[in-house]
Amino acid sequence: MRIIVCIDDNGGMMFNNRRVSSDKVVTERIIDLLKDNNLYLNQYSAKLFADKTDNLKISDDFLSKAGDNDYCFVENVDITEHISDISQVIIYYWNRKYPSDFKFQKEAAVSGLKCVSVSEFGGNSHEKITEEVYE
Amino acid sequence: MNRIILKLIPLILCVCVMLVGCGGDYVDTGSKAPLNDPSSAYSSTSTDIDNIPKFDGETPFVVLNGNIPDFRDEDLVTESYEYYDELDELGRCTTVIACVGKDIMPTEERGNIGQVKPTGWHTVKYKNVDGKYLYNRCHLIGFQLTGENVNDRNLITGTRYLNVEGMLPFENMIADYVKETENHVLYRVTPIFEGNNLLASGVQLEAKSVEDNGDGVMFNVYAYNVQPGVIINYKTGESALDEKTEQNKENSDTEYVLNTGSKKIHLPNCSGVKSMSEKNKKVTNKLKSELIKEGYSTCNMCNP
Repeated sequence: MRIIVCIDDNGGMMFNNRRVSSDKVVTERIIDLLKDNNLYLNQYSAKLFADKTDNLKISDDFLSKAGDNDYCFVENVDITEHISDISQVIIYYWNRKYPSDFKFQKEAAVSGLKCVSVSEFGGNSHEKITEEVYE
Repeated sequence: MNRIILKLIPLILCVCVMLVGCGGDYVDTGSKAPLNDPSSAYSSTSTDIDNIPKFDGETPFVVLNGNIPDFRDEDLVTESYEYYDELDELGRCTTVIACVGKDIMPTEERGNIGQVKPTGWHTVKYKNVDGKYLYNRCHLIGFQLTGENVNDRNLITGTRYLNVEGMLPFENMIADYVKETENHVLYRVTPIFEGNNLLASGVQLEAKSVEDNGDGVMFNVYAYNVQPGVIINYKTGESALDEKTEQNKENSDTEYVLNTGSKKIHLPNCSGVKSMSEKNKKVTNKLKSELIKEGYSTCNMCNP
């Protein structure tokens, strides 16, 4: 599976059961990335993409249901049991520091993968967002 | 007496304000006044500072009341405002509250605030502090949220750690949410002073996004006004290097080579050691902090 995450400077994704940040430009970028592929995610994350694409596969257990080449948008779920299934990791960095109590296990997720691209772009509410792709 | 009833002071001040007819520093930047008197947003519930755990040396804040802020439903309005209550009888900041909206966010760079000397202020530097200066003039409501700059009701003496690790991440979260959604966030900041201390022990931060009833942003935390490696006297703001902590960080097995002539401390593999005169060379296992006390300084090349 291919996982997509958004993190702050400390790898933080969530605080008090809420995402630490969001940006329309990233959401649109992820939709463009999908092309005809589906995006697997849970109900909480689905709200970000509501009315923007029909390619959503919503399930609380989406990481178990995604196939080898499917994209998974991960915000508030533990990926530990699925590390061996990950073939690509796409990370969006907010380049900001937020409070967080749930972090992305980057080291484990990209273990055995190589960083194949790094790019930067401006967001709607973030001055500079960095995209890293590991394969 | 260690028990402190949070928000009691602002509540009393509010009553006084009502009685004498002069309010705090209320800034209405919109075309209409807010639906409620912002001073009424102070609640009468209390938080006991004795229940706040001591700083663990690593986590800059603790969650209060399950991250649920103590706002009333009627406080959640969709018009921006900011309110800075009066200083107390000791000249200390009390409570500030703002309904943060995109319309009151700053459009210009922040100006100089060096003329403000909040209670407990000392200009003091430590090598182990990021940026060297122990204290910052900490905006209670961050400049990035309301653009409020030189206002002594909004500036406390805060450690660099409080400013950057304790408060800034929460301000960033609010600022970016407001910019992204154009919604409002009700945000209240209350510095907590024990007794007559001039330096706040910490700061309570409460926030809730308005239009989505807290779905986007909601927190209630206490950020510690501490600086790891520095001992602080909260009565006065005076401070000293925490030798014990700093010495613990140092490995007592570390070997240094001293140049007794230039009074420099080198690591054994430093190129400066090779060219050092034998008569000035001295090997030691003393702690670096002890050597500095003896008048030595560190080599700029090997940076021991």
